[in-house]
Amino acid sequence: MESFLRTFSDQTINGLVIGNIYAFIAVGLALIFGVGNLINFAHGSVFMVGAYVGWVCMTWWNLPLAVAFVVVTLVCALVGVAIERFALYPLRGAPPIAPLLATIGVSFMIDQAVQLLFSRNPHAFPNPLIEHRFQVGGVTVGAIDLLIAGVGVAAALTLYSFLRFTRWGWALRATAQDREAALQMGVNVNAVNRMTFAIAAALGGIAGLLVGMYFNTVYPTMSFQATFKGFAAVVLGGLGNVPGAVLGGLLLGLIESYGVAIFGATYRNLFAFIILIAVLVWRPNGLFSLKPRVTQEPLTGTFIAKGRPVPTPKWLIATLIGVAFVVPILAPNPYLLQILTNAWLLGMVALSVTLVTGTAGQTSLGQAGFMAIGAYASALLVLRLGWPFELSMIAAAFISAILGTLLVFPAFRLRAAYIAIATLAIGEIVNQVILNWEGLTQGAMGIAGLPPPSLLGWQMIRPHEIYYFSLALLCLAALVQWRLVRSPLGRTWRSLREDEVAAQAFGVNLNRYKTLAFGVAAWLAGLSGAVTGHMYTYISHETFTNTTSILALTMVILGGMGNLLGAIVGAVVLTALPEVFRGLADYRYLVYGLTLLLVIRFRPQGLLGTD
Amino acid sequence: MSASNGQPLLQLKNIDTAYGPIQVHFDLNLHVHAGEIVCLLGGNASGKSTTMKVILGLVRPLRGSVLFDGRAITGLPTPQIVRLGIGSVPEARRIFAQMTVRENLLMGAYHRKDRRAIAEDYERMLTLFPRLKERLHQRGGTLSGGEQQMLAIARALMGRPRLICMDEPTMGLSPLYVDRVLGLIQQINAHGYTIFMVEQNAHLALQIAHRGYVLQNGRIVMEGNAQALLNDPEIQDAYLGEKQ
Ligand SMILES: Nc1ncnc2c1ncn2[C@@H]1O[C@H](COP(=O)(O)OP(=O)(O)OP(=O)(O)O)[C@@H](O)[C@H]1O
Ligand SMILES: [Mg+2]
Repeated sequence: MESFLRTFSDQTINGLVIGNIYAFIAVGLALIFGVGNLINFAHGSVFMVGAYVGWVCMTWWNLPLAVAFVVVTLVCALVGVAIERFALYPLRGAPPIAPLLATIGVSFMIDQAVQLLFSRNPHAFPNPLIEHRFQVGGVTVGAIDLLIAGVGVAAALTLYSFLRFTRWGWALRATAQDREAALQMGVNVNAVNRMTFAIAAALGGIAGLLVGMYFNTVYPTMSFQATFKGFAAVVLGGLGNVPGAVLGGLLLGLIESYGVAIFGATYRNLFAFIILIAVLVWRPNGLFSLKPRVTQEPLTGTFIAKGRPVPTPKWLIATLIGVAFVVPILAPNPYLLQILTNAWLLGMVALSVTLVTGTAGQTSLGQAGFMAIGAYASALLVLRLGWPFELSMIAAAFISAILGTLLVFPAFRLRAAYIAIATLAIGEIVNQVILNWEGLTQGAMGIAGLPPPSLLGWQMIRPHEIYYFSLALLCLAALVQWRLVRSPLGRTWRSLREDEVAAQAFGVNLNRYKTLAFGVAAWLAGLSGAVTGHMYTYISHETFTNTTSILALTMVILGGMGNLLGAIVGAVVLTALPEVFRGLADYRYLVYGLTLLLVIRFRPQGLLGTD
Repeated sequence: MSASNGQPLLQLKNIDTAYGPIQVHFDLNLHVHAGEIVCLLGGNASGKSTTMKVILGLVRPLRGSVLFDGRAITGLPTPQIVRLGIGSVPEARRIFAQMTVRENLLMGAYHRKDRRAIAEDYERMLTLFPRLKERLHQRGGTLSGGEQQMLAIARALMGRPRLICMDEPTMGLSPLYVDRVLGLIQQINAHGYTIFMVEQNAHLALQIAHRGYVLQNGRIVMEGNAQALLNDPEIQDAYLGEKQ
């Protein structure tokens, strides 16, 4: 009992300290959401920049901690301003999902830049504080805990005074409450936007520095986790609600801390994702709001730029298919075939995205989760139950369709940006479950020794064999999807996309058609995942990550939403581009991020136009 | 009022406005002289609020120009237009709901730098609007509709504008408050403020205005002295009949 109490109070301290850091991140996100009505996916990247800048200050330059704080604050504020100025400001007036996607592009670019500069590997972060831990009434507290608490309180007070008593603080609040009215008071809302980014980024950067010190390490993937922990905290507290974000951060910290104590450390990241979805679905205004918030401008509308598909005559498509089929004969280069095979398999995922997102208007960032389900299902059916591949592949697609739809189902009520976040979280949950369900999935070890794909005894080992197989699957999928979107079902899907409320008024059962859209999409992504898994012969919880999901969406945006040929062209371009220019392979995500930014800004309808 | 001598304070010349493919204004021309109360009348969706937005720079017209004090302000950013001296009482008031009454008032003077004069104006508003004085630390969103309208007017006055644009200041108010607001507008005008107001309720607006314009489907179909408009049979049919 004694020791339980001690553990409990230690976990509480832990939780509050981590929660404090989450609160930092969440406050920035809440400010940006409040002022710009924007969900900022690049926030975690700025957080990571803060951690690395702090690390550079302290290990390369041996600066004192206080100076490091100042440098981190300034650098991150500048990064924030730059993001606003160059990625978001040009998109004002675009549908709200456009700046959101732009922040995803920015986060790709920042993350890759940090990797290039400092390598993928973690770096040890020296703790500049005394290591002593104090005993206070049966609780152990370290100097770092006190520092984090102190910085947290100081920042909260500063922010509060700023918002409450300064001219700019008032301008910020006025802009957040009513942008157009603020303009009519003479507030330069663009400057306010930029200032908000600076503040949010500075807070995020400080959080990064603190996290680096707390865990004694910095690493590039800390960015995505931070973004999501921040989202979870913000959503807990109510989007755009600054005090709520602080509470949400502390609460998330506590939940994680107790959760880890009960279930084990590998579960740490699962809680945030589950909370995120649960709150979005059941209490979209956050835990602390008694009544629905003053309605913000709804984040409706998908990224459908009005435009017509570029006309593609039948003979051209036939020629393209023909060319694809003779490539292995004309250029039997295993490397080339491998790349194109990847493009075909990702092309199937892109087709699935263009179906849910382009045709049915439900922005999905969770396709990789469906791929993972397909890959694991097929692997387990083959390895555990001895099923033949051709059967397991089809079964895997159905399992993915069923599980995937069930997972997304609670999120069907959500719209544009929220469904994007929810699906991204679902993809992540799938991987976290794979990581933790060791009895089924072998956890972190992954599953090795998957037999290569085979068809009626024909084992596809050589590059051109799997090339033809995946190309054939892709063509088949495209053909079926083409028939689907041209059918009455396709028309109903498009009516969902144009206006859910109107569609419902005309008697369309929204849930049924969303189920169909996500079901078909998860089926296709699951099939691609199954084939990909067997091709790699090894899969783990890190094989199909959110990066793949985002990449698939980028392909679709590049090609043109809802445009089938566009999805495939996007897949080929984005898979091949970094390889063609050999030098670019290391800059892969820079290329992806930049592509996303440029397309959204200069050709929102995509290369081949939306359909 | 003070003479139609010289150039008008505000002038809209040949304005065409559209939201995407939907054209709202067709060759709109109107002007307001310093010291006047001018009202713009029209039914729903005739383009009244859009006129305000064009003046304030919130919507950019396709063609035509807005002159303020003889200077073209078309296309200027809203904050700059506000700084030139155009204040606004927006449609539906648009009080900052989470800010206190005091903060709302001072936001009205956001673009001004003369602290001492702002403090004086603030005191003046509290005498002019005793109800607001009692509620200084209450959130704007918790005020009644009529009180919010008072606050919106006081907020606009805090900017010491040379022209105040009011979009349906009597909308949604009880008859008692409608009278108060109209009386207030006359009072403000007597203090030298020029007022351009949009109203659906022609009868009420024409009682306090000097001149009026009638907007129909984006076109000015009638203009003239308030008294003349009040007596115009066409107006009586179209607007006064249904309202009173
Ligand atoms: N932001 C906008 N986007 C598209 N159309 C708009 C927008 N704002 C107004 N409109 C359209 O422009 C037309 C004129 O609108 P406006 O608000 O100027 O009318 P109004 O005369 O103020 O009407 P009311 O008396 O109802 O306030 C309407 O048909 C309206 O639907
Ligand atoms: Mg109006």
